[in-house]
This record gives sequence, structure tokens and C-alpha cells, in this order.
Amino acid sequence: MSTPAFPESLAGADVVAGSVHLLVQRELYPLDAIFAAAFTFINDCWVVIDVADEARHKVVLTPKAGAQDAETLQRWIGGFANELLSCAYRHRLAKDNRVTVEAVTLQALAGAMGPPTLDELEDFDFSNEAFEDPLGIAQSWEEKYAKKPKPEAKDDAKDDAKDEPTSEKDEDAP
Amino acid sequence: MIELRFHRAVYAGEAVDAAVKQFARFGAFELAEDSSHWVVRVTARKPERERALAGELGNLALGLTDERRRAARLA
Repeated sequence: MSTPAFPESLAGADVVAGSVHLLVQRELYPLDAIFAAAFTFINDCWVVIDVADEARHKVVLTPKAGAQDAETLQRWIGGFANELLSCAYRHRLAKDNRVTVEAVTLQALAGAMGPPTLDELEDFDFSNEAFEDPLGIAQSWEEKYAKKPKPEAKDDAKDDAKDEPTSEKDEDAP
Repeated sequence: MIELRFHRAVYAGEAVDAAVKQFARFGAFELAEDSSHWVVRVTARKPERERALAGELGNLALGLTDERRRAARLA
């Protein structure tokens, strides 16, 4: 019999046997996520994972408490479905962040190896820039605010402006 | 007698064997296999005990399989 909240193609309950099953898409929920979700239920349920067809796994939960009504069985499978979604998402996050975690771990281990020897320092290439600084954040105060020589073109223009009268007052002045 | 069927694509055969050994003193187990499943037939003195034994065997097989999967991934 199908559970009221889930379509028959996704879940079903066997009230006589006291078990409930959920069909999960392999493409959406990897086996690792199904295992992880199953472990949160093994204290209260007996869990069996089976292969329903090429595209789906079948998870069967049998609550250890014994015979249960359809509503209770539905709550079990609903809880499992939520846990499965959570596990699948965490699995995806772990997969996506794996490179970052490896890089940070590598840096930590490299730091723990101790300071470099003189020979290693001698071979080290210091010519490379540490990083690009388009906003000038790493510049010193002197570098950033030092007075720069004025360009010649501007100087000439200013000189011309000084020679010409700038206002009527200048023209009228004795 | 309860028949448990563990799909080969999900459960490791060694894990099912190890789980059966773990529970051997609580009942009688008969092992078989077909093209897609490891088959375990569980027999105990009382039906409730048989049900519990079969269920716990399934949980342990699941746990041992996952342990093997993790070990294989790290190796």
C-alpha cells in the first residue's frame, strides 16, 4: 500500500510486516549519502538497501518497535527522506570543497615541517612577485603619496594662463 | 525461517559473511548466492527472535560494508 503523503512510485508501506520502503534516484542520491542516512536510523530501525532497477535504489525500514500503523510508518519514511536529502547535500558540499580542504591541509603540514635550510633558501626564487596589487594596498605611504613631478604640458598651459588676463579686474587695473 | 537478500552492488560479500559469523551463536544461518544477491536464511527458536536476528544481521552487514567502502576509498 502506498503511504498517503508519498506517491506510490516513491514510497510504500507494508503494515502487516511493519515495514516501509522508499525508492531513491541514483542520479540524485549517491550510495554514500544513502549509507549515511541509513546510519542515523539503525538505532530505531532495521535498514536494508536494495537495487530496485537501473536508476533507483530501494531503502526498506522496519521499525524495531514492532507493528505500527500507516501514519507512524509514514513519519518514519518522511524522516528518512529528509535525512537523505541532508546527507546528499553534505556529500555534494564535501565533494565541492575537497580541493580547498586539501590545499589548506597541505599548507598546514608544510608549515609543520619547520623552517627551510640554507640550501633550500639559496635555491629559492625570490624574483617572483608575491601577489598582484592593483589597488596599491601593499604600497608604503611614501610610495603612495610622494609628490610626483608635474608633466611639462600642464606646466606650459599654466604659464600661458598666467600671461593672459584672467578677469575684467585685471584689464581695468592701472 | 526468514530469507534476507543483500544485493551484490550494495553489500560486500565479506561484510555479509562477517556479520553472519558475529551472530552465529544466536541462531542458524544458511548462506547462498544467486547472480545478483547474497542470500542468508535465518532460523531461530522464536519468531520474534528470528525477526530481530535477521534485522540486526542486516544492520551489521550494512555497517561492515560501509567500513570496507571507506577503507577502500582511503587506500
